Amino acid sequence: MHERIPGLVLLCLCIQAGQITLQAQEFKLLDRTVQVHGFVSQGFIYTNDNNWLTMNSSQGSAAYTDFGLNMSTRVTDKFWIGAQGYDRNLGQLGQYHPSLDWAVADYRFKSWLGVRGGKVKTTLGLYTDTQDEDFLRTFALLPQSVYPTDLRDATIAHAGADIYGDISLRHRLGVLSYTAYAGHRSDSIYSGYPYYLSSFGAQIKSFGGMQYGGDLRWKSPLKGLLMGASRLNEHITGRGLVINPFAPGAGLVPYYESSKADWTNQFYGEYAVGRLRIDAEYRRYWRNQELNGTSESFADVRGWYVSGAYRIYKRIQIGSYYSHYTITNIVAGALSAFYPPATDTNLPADHDYDKVITGRVDLNKFWNVKVEGHFMNGYGSGPYPNGFYTQVNPSGFAPNTNALVLKTSLNF
Amino acid sequence: MKNHRVLPLVAVVVVVIFAPVCVIAADVKVIANGSVKENMISANEVKSIFLEEYNLLRDGTHVEPVLEKDGPVHEAFLHEYLWGTDDDLQSYYRALVFSGRGSMPKQLGSDAEVVAYVARTKGAIGYVGAETMVEDVKTLTIVRGGNDTQRRLITRVEPEYPDTLKRLNIGGTVRLQITIAPKGNVEAVEVLGGNPILGESAVAAVKQWVFTASHARTVAELSVPFGSHP
Repeated sequence: MHERIPGLVLLCLCIQAGQITLQAQEFKLLDRTVQVHGFVSQGFIYTNDNNWLTMNSSQGSAAYTDFGLNMSTRVTDKFWIGAQGYDRNLGQLGQYHPSLDWAVADYRFKSWLGVRGGKVKTTLGLYTDTQDEDFLRTFALLPQSVYPTDLRDATIAHAGADIYGDISLRHRLGVLSYTAYAGHRSDSIYSGYPYYLSSFGAQIKSFGGMQYGGDLRWKSPLKGLLMGASRLNEHITGRGLVINPFAPGAGLVPYYESSKADWTNQFYGEYAVGRLRIDAEYRRYWRNQELNGTSESFADVRGWYVSGAYRIYKRIQIGSYYSHYTITNIVAGALSAFYPPATDTNLPADHDYDKVITGRVDLNKFWNVKVEGHFMNGYGSGPYPNGFYTQVNPSGFAPNTNALVLKTSLNF
Repeated sequence: MKNHRVLPLVAVVVVVIFAPVCVIAADVKVIANGSVKENMISANEVKSIFLEEYNLLRDGTHVEPVLEKDGPVHEAFLHEYLWGTDDDLQSYYRALVFSGRGSMPKQLGSDAEVVAYVARTKGAIGYVGAETMVEDVKTLTIVRGGNDTQRRLITRVEPEYPDTLKRLNIGGTVRLQITIAPKGNVEAVEVLGGNPILGESAVAAVKQWVFTASHARTVAELSVPFGSHP
């Protein structure tokens, strides 16, 4: 029970302080206006079977809290700076270890050319850079096939630089927006993948590496229609200690994994007309890892979803999506004895098909409440995690999981 | 169920789903601080500026959008230049703010506050009701639908605001379709909407405008506001 207290207390304090805070959004510093914005959200998840997202959800869990605070200012006409701190607790993940979410210096030379550097949110598909801000969308949880919240660290940001811009096309053909980036990704040891590895007795000390990629999106002349594609390449290394799988009694030995090929392709479209919004995205993640110099793994993760959301009244929205996730994995080498090939995506262990319905009520401009139902087939707990972890499901997995998600968030 | 019963039902559902949130009758004009060199910008440029897609005009002037918090003028501006509802727009701005892509634009409570802010802030661009009297700011002419957005206005003749209408405080915006010859002179002007007397005055003025040359004719729509001091 005590795991619920910090989040609930925090949320109550924020709601109580809401009116004061909402009016204190900016101040002057050295004759510059500094804007201050923040958000906090609190969720509750109950599942009829299987514990989900590292939470004790089959008993009902409110270990689902996150919050962020940012400050920004325009230094000159073309130069803008800002930074945001972020913290979360999601079941066994995050555990209230704060992080620098982004810290950016942005210089815009022309409309078609800008540069931003520092720790920058990664542009990948429609929602990677805004996935934490649930008040921006109808749904409490984004489709987990493409935006797994337990693995947010894998794609959320890089320390490096972006170049970006908008190019107006002739003949009224719309606008092309591009982003190209390179930098270093660094995962928290309290994130999903290190937690997944702990099921094998691994203690991860560091996980991250170089990443580079780009995004190109076309804002078409048809009002509300946007289409785009993203590409992300990574070279990731994880280090730590692990129980020797060949001699468990012999104690810990060094753990090492490194990318041989690691890339993500994402294609997406969005259409917003009047009160209706339709999104569709496809992501393929290919991962070829060297494991401790003795083995090699090949994982092919594919996810897609189609979602629709409709604003019934000014303050009430409903939405639904179908999210489709599959994974295949083969391990070659000495460790193959411990990882049987996973190639049949019809098995519940290798897929997760999620049907979702959501209702959202905006109590005011800054505070909303959501109710969401998930009806999942499969648990996709294979060699790369997707919400279901053996540590919190020691008795194994049931093939189907229904989940009730309640979430409220406040922002200013 | 017979087809003749199904089709009207489908039509009603389609109309309900695709209906805009509201239809706005109010009229707006776009105003700018005197430091903004351009007198005329396209509706697409207005959209891009207010969506913070860029903050530099073609002539290199830095601009800063200023919005009204709510009300009919704000709704009319959303309807005419942007998309969706105010909730959509606020979500859009919050996405910028929380992903490290930009700041929340200034949002003020009334036409008077917007005029005062735009007048004193270098590069500011805002909007007010079409009949709001404005001083110390310039009213921008908005071009929409032009097939050559790179053409710039180099000679502008202000339309005469007839004394009678001015005294009776009758103003508003006249919408024109103009055809610009390759050399830059205005070949033809057609009134698309607005007060007919103001329309005559606008046509007489716009016929004297001169644009930069281009390889072909350009057809564009203009909004010419009356009831202000451009």
